[in-house]
Parts: sequence; structure tokens; C-alpha cells
Amino acid sequence: MPGQRSPVRLIVALSIAGVLAVFLLYTSIAGGGTPALRPSQLTGHTGRVSLMGQVVGKPSGDAHGAGLRFQLRDVKGNATVPVVYKGSVPDLFRTGRDVVVDGHLRNGAFVAVPDTLVTKCPSKYSPKR
Amino acid sequence: MADLGRAALVTAFLLLVYALVAGSLAAWQKRRRLAESAQNALLAAFGATLVASAVLLAALARHDFSFQYVADHTSHELPLGYTLTAFWGGQEGSLLLWLLVLTGYSVAAVLTGRRAGREVLAWVVPTLGLVGTFFAMLLVFVASPFATQATAADGAGLNPSLQNPYMAIHPPMLYLGYVGLTVPFAFAMGALLARRTDERWIVATRRWTLAAWAFLGVGQLLGAHWAYVEIGWGGFYAWDPVENAALMPWLAATAFLHSVMIQEKRGMLKVWNVLLVVLAFCLSIFGTFLTRSGIIQSIHSFTQSSIGPWFLGFICLITAASLSLIFVRLPLLRSKTRLESLVSREATFLYNNLLLVALALTILWGVVYPILSQAVTGQAATVSKPYYNFFLHTFGLPLLLLMGIGPLVAWRRASLRALGRTFLWPLGAALIAGFALLLAGAGSSRIGVIAYTFSVFVLASIALEFARGTAARKALGGVGWAGAFSSLVARNRRRYGGYVVHASIVLLAIGVTGASAYQTVREARLKPGQSMSVAGDRLVFRGYETKAESNHRAIRALVDVYRGNDYLGRYKPGKNQYFAEDQVSNEVSIRHDWLTGGDLFLIADQVNANGSIDLKALQKPLVNLLWLAGIVFIGGSLIALWPDAREARRLAERYADGAVRI
Repeated sequence: MPGQRSPVRLIVALSIAGVLAVFLLYTSIAGGGTPALRPSQLTGHTGRVSLMGQVVGKPSGDAHGAGLRFQLRDVKGNATVPVVYKGSVPDLFRTGRDVVVDGHLRNGAFVAVPDTLVTKCPSKYSPKR
Repeated sequence: MADLGRAALVTAFLLLVYALVAGSLAAWQKRRRLAESAQNALLAAFGATLVASAVLLAALARHDFSFQYVADHTSHELPLGYTLTAFWGGQEGSLLLWLLVLTGYSVAAVLTGRRAGREVLAWVVPTLGLVGTFFAMLLVFVASPFATQATAADGAGLNPSLQNPYMAIHPPMLYLGYVGLTVPFAFAMGALLARRTDERWIVATRRWTLAAWAFLGVGQLLGAHWAYVEIGWGGFYAWDPVENAALMPWLAATAFLHSVMIQEKRGMLKVWNVLLVVLAFCLSIFGTFLTRSGIIQSIHSFTQSSIGPWFLGFICLITAASLSLIFVRLPLLRSKTRLESLVSREATFLYNNLLLVALALTILWGVVYPILSQAVTGQAATVSKPYYNFFLHTFGLPLLLLMGIGPLVAWRRASLRALGRTFLWPLGAALIAGFALLLAGAGSSRIGVIAYTFSVFVLASIALEFARGTAARKALGGVGWAGAFSSLVARNRRRYGGYVVHASIVLLAIGVTGASAYQTVREARLKPGQSMSVAGDRLVFRGYETKAESNHRAIRALVDVYRGNDYLGRYKPGKNQYFAEDQVSNEVSIRHDWLTGGDLFLIADQVNANGSIDLKALQKPLVNLLWLAGIVFIGGSLIALWPDAREARRLAERYADGAVRI
């Protein structure tokens, strides 16, 4: 049927346009996600970032008081950064574990957003040998 | 024993390669005997996989620590039940379960799929063989569950958080779903390869898709419930990549289930349907890739292993092959009819499809965002909950509304006047509910009020459909209300089963909204004797008790709960310290209020050395509707799935041109 286009195509095209518009609107307002960094990459970032590293040294302090203090090191590397964290501490958190925590770098220390600490257990389904 | 397992897997691999090669050849040259032999190879591959699985199961049951897999995932103290379910506790076993389910499904699909026609079936066999070959190859060459070692004295044990009945059942459910999507994919490919692009392949696989989709849905709900009762952060879904990995194919399959009805009824959307089934299948393989490759940072980091690139290669192969096949067959996929009106049942199905696919794709975008941003800017960035929640609201709420609108709109072309009449009751109910909610103070969350108003609208429209159908059936005479109702459902299982599933999705929406938009969270440090309050309940901390169990030490906080002057009971959140695994696990305590459907959720966040506790308490109104939704979902799926002799006869008549026999 020449001259007559199927409305299905119109709907599909319009919806794709609609979805893209909503999408662009969202990303322009909310920004393009949180940068995921290692301790060695932190310098220069003042906004909210998601920091991933390995817990080194003994954690001290009180996560429900003045804050839990620990050092995070690059999983493959030597750069470390001190972290202050308040909120729930996951069961698997301990020295040697890889963790991810959101926060801001303030005067050389990483101030974590409360309740964002997530442990990444590299061996959850396959225990260490 | 390990040798037997290995031999069985090699046999399965060779059989599947044969099914692929001989099957393709047979279908290509239309050689019936060869096609039968390829089919038999597929059946035999199931037997071989069964043997391999039995070997692994026996090794687990005998605590045979000369099997690396057994030593890595179990220990002597581990209860027998969890020792056996460690079958799918690790990567190699999971892959074996995958192959077992796949070959099992293949057998059933080949034996029951004759309705699709002989030519189609001849191509289904090699397609299933291809997917099976891939998994068997991984099991034989890359990740063998039968690797041996010097016998260890004891095993490493199973992760404590997996020692839970939900974890025993949740992975197989997901596999039954994931793998089940292979069957409609194989039939779609078979139909394209055989140039039989009518709706037969859809009719032949309808129940398969429905079953796979139901398993996937139930599997996810079980996972959510596990996270809720076991992980103990107070939530049930965290938009983690691995959770999304199961949600995406489910959304694509949901779209597919709806759009195939349009092809069956009106012969439209043929291209769209094959694209959807390819999308659903690729997403299910992509989900496995995500969980198994460790490419995306996830809290569920499984083994980061060498199988990632294999999966990536397989996804690329499947996507490229199926898309080019669709492209080549485009001329055969022309619609017989066209959309007549933007206000019709077909159109609402189309809107629902677009919304579901948009939701799935935005989730996919969020999942792969770290990789994409790394590739483009050199700096990985992640998107978090607000991103997903935004799109869930943007696409999910209209979807909810469509569930109420769709069933009331006529096929082909709906008149606006008729629509006004049918919408009167649901719309009225929704408006009244909306105002009542605002008066009751639910306006604290705008999204919450919208979701609840829409929910009432959908429930009212579903109730109306049932009521009208029952009345019409009763008017035929000879039956009472109950008889009319049951015969209505029995004669239209698919339709009314579908409505029941819709009702379960509404319950789900109500539960999720209650638990997220209307929850109250309080935290406090309490010494024994001190109390805190959360949304009307007073919690008094009485101290600790500790108990030694066989493989862990249990510390429990004693918390007395009061509402007004009523004592509601003693609840015991706490922590378990596991010896063998050297790990702590949070044990939450939940008070279910069966009358209101809400939960009081208690977490012993931190057990302090001085005898105090950091207690976290969450009031989650209506959250239990989420679990009720699961039961209703199963019920609705079963109604839609239940064999229907009348339907079978109708289909047999429709396709009685000889193609049914093989």
C-alpha cells in the first residue's frame, strides 16, 4: 500500500525519540554517573566519587560514633588513602578485603558517605586456596 | 569416579557437536533419517549429562575431597542438604547444572514441539545443539567440575550466607528460567531457517516461554526474599549488576509474551517478535557473562575466571548470526495486517512492549556504563540507585497504568464512547482511592500516591473483567455464580491466568512502594534497659545471649517490642560467627504483622564490647504483599500454563495439514 505508512513505525519512531529525550534530559541533569577510582587516582577529584581499594592495616574507631578509620590501598599498587566511615559495616569487612565506598576527598582524607560501604569478596563462591 | 564424570562430559560434548553438524546437514538437505539421528544424539547428550551430574552429586554426598570442586565448596560439618546443593554453589557446578537443564529442556522441546512442523524442528535440533556445544565445551576444556587433587582432610566449606534454604532453590529456579529462554530462541531460529515464518513456532513454544518466564520471575523473587531475610540491610533489591542480569531477560520475555499474542491474533509484529526472542536469549547469556566474568564490579563477585572471553565471543556469534538471519528473511516477515487505530488492544500491547524494552535497555545501559565510560573517557564511572529508580518510575508507572487500560480496550478499533463507559468504574475507584490516600497523609511521597492510585485502577479493571465475564457466562444459563466463574477461567485459561499475573504485579508494586516510599528507619546506640521508638513501636534492649552451635557461635540481642501498652514479643537480631569460614554473618529479626502486611525489621548493626548495641530498626509497611505477589504470580502462571484439551483440539484442527507429524 504505497503512500500509507504503518502507524506502528510512527509509534516506534516516536517512542525511541521520547526515550532518548527522557534519557538525555536525565543525564544532563543528574550528570554522567559517579567516577569509579582507585586511591592512586584520587588527587584532583573534589566531587563525589566511588573509591575501590583493599583494606590495609587494622581498622580502628567506631562506625556508629566518631567514625571507623582505615586505610585503602590500590588493589594492584601501593598508593593508600585514609578513610573515615560512618554507618553500617558489612559482615565481610576486614583487613585484606576489597571494598567500594562513596565519598569525597577532604584535606588528604577520604570522607565517606554514610552507609555506602560495600565489601567485594573476590572469593564468595570459590574459597581461597 | 572423576574419570567417569569426565568421560560422560566428553561424550555429551561429542553428541552435541554431532547434533549440531549432522542436524544442520540434515535440515539443509532435507534428509529425514539423518535428522532423526541428530535428534537422538540430542536425547543421548541429556543422558550423558545426567551421568556426569550423578557423579558430582555422589562425590558431594561422600565428601570426596579428592574432587577439587567438593573440597572448595563443602566441609565435613556442612549439613547434608547444603552439601548437595553445593552442586550449584560454584562455577563449574553451575555450568554443569546449566547443561543439564539445557539438554533436559531440549529433549522435552523436541518431543513436544512437533506442532511447529517438521522442517522447523529439523532446524531446532542443531540450534539447541549449538548452545549445548558451547556449554559442554566450557565444561570439558575450560572449567571442569571433575578436576582432582591430593585428597584434603577437610573442605573449605560453603559461604555462610549461602547456607539458607532460599539459596538452595533460588539458583536452580533462575537456571530453569534463563536456560528455558533457549527453547523459544531455538524455535524462532528454526522457523526462520526453515522459512516457516507463520505463527506456528510461537504456538509451539508458548508454554515454554511462559514456563521459563515464570521460573525467572519466581527465581528473582526468591532471591529478593533471601536478600531480605538473610543479608540484613533491610532491602530486597539493590540494582546490582547481577540482579539486573536476571531482570533484563525477564523484562524482554514479558514483552515477548505480550507481543506474540498480536502475531497470533492479527499476524502483525513478526520482525519485532523474533528480535525480542533474540534479545531475551542474548540477555540471558549476557547475564551469565556478567556474573561469571567479573567484568563489572558487583557485590556478587563470583569467581573471576577465564570463561569471560568465551561468553563474550558466544554472545557476539549468536547476535551476529541471528540478526543476519533475520535480515535475510525480512521479506518473509511482512505483516499480513496493519494497526488500524492508536486506541486498540494491539496498540496498548505495542506501548507495553516499547516501555518494557525501554526499561530493559536503560537498565542494560546502566550495567555496561562503567565499561563504556572507561572506553570513551578513560575513566570508569558508575551509575547508582537514583538512575535506576528514575527509569523505573518513568517507564514502570505507565506500564502499571497500561495493565489496567489494556484489557478494557477492544481489538482493532475502540470507540471512545465505549471506552468511557468501561473506564467509569475503575477510574472512579482510582480517584476515590487517590483522595483517600492524600487525606490519610500518604502525600509524603508523590510517587507512592501515583503508584497506589494506578494500582487501584488496575485492580478495579481486573475485577471488572472477571465480573463481566462471569455475568456473561451465567447469562448463558444453567450455572450459578461459582460455576460460571470457574468455567469462565477454565475456558479462557490464558486470558484469566494473565489477569491473575497482572494482579500479582500490582501486589508487587504495592509492596515495593510501601517498603521503599513509606518506610521509616531509626538507628540508636542502646545500653541494656534503654529503648528507642520507630513509627509507633517502642523497642527495649534487654542485653545479649550467646549460644554455641556446631559450626558457629550465635550472639543474639534481646529486644522487647511494645506498641502503646501492648507487649508484642521478644525479637532477637544478632550475629553468627562461623569457625571454619572465619566469617561473621548478620542475622536479622523480623516481626511480621499479618494484619497490616507490614514488617518491623531489626538489625544488630554493631555489637559493642561494653555490652551496648547499635540497633537499626525499619518499619516497612505492606512489604509482605511482595511475597504474597509471588504466590499469586505462581498461581496465575499455572492457570495460564495448565494443559487445555479444548485448546489443543482447536490448534490440531487449525494445523491439520500434515505438518504436525514428523
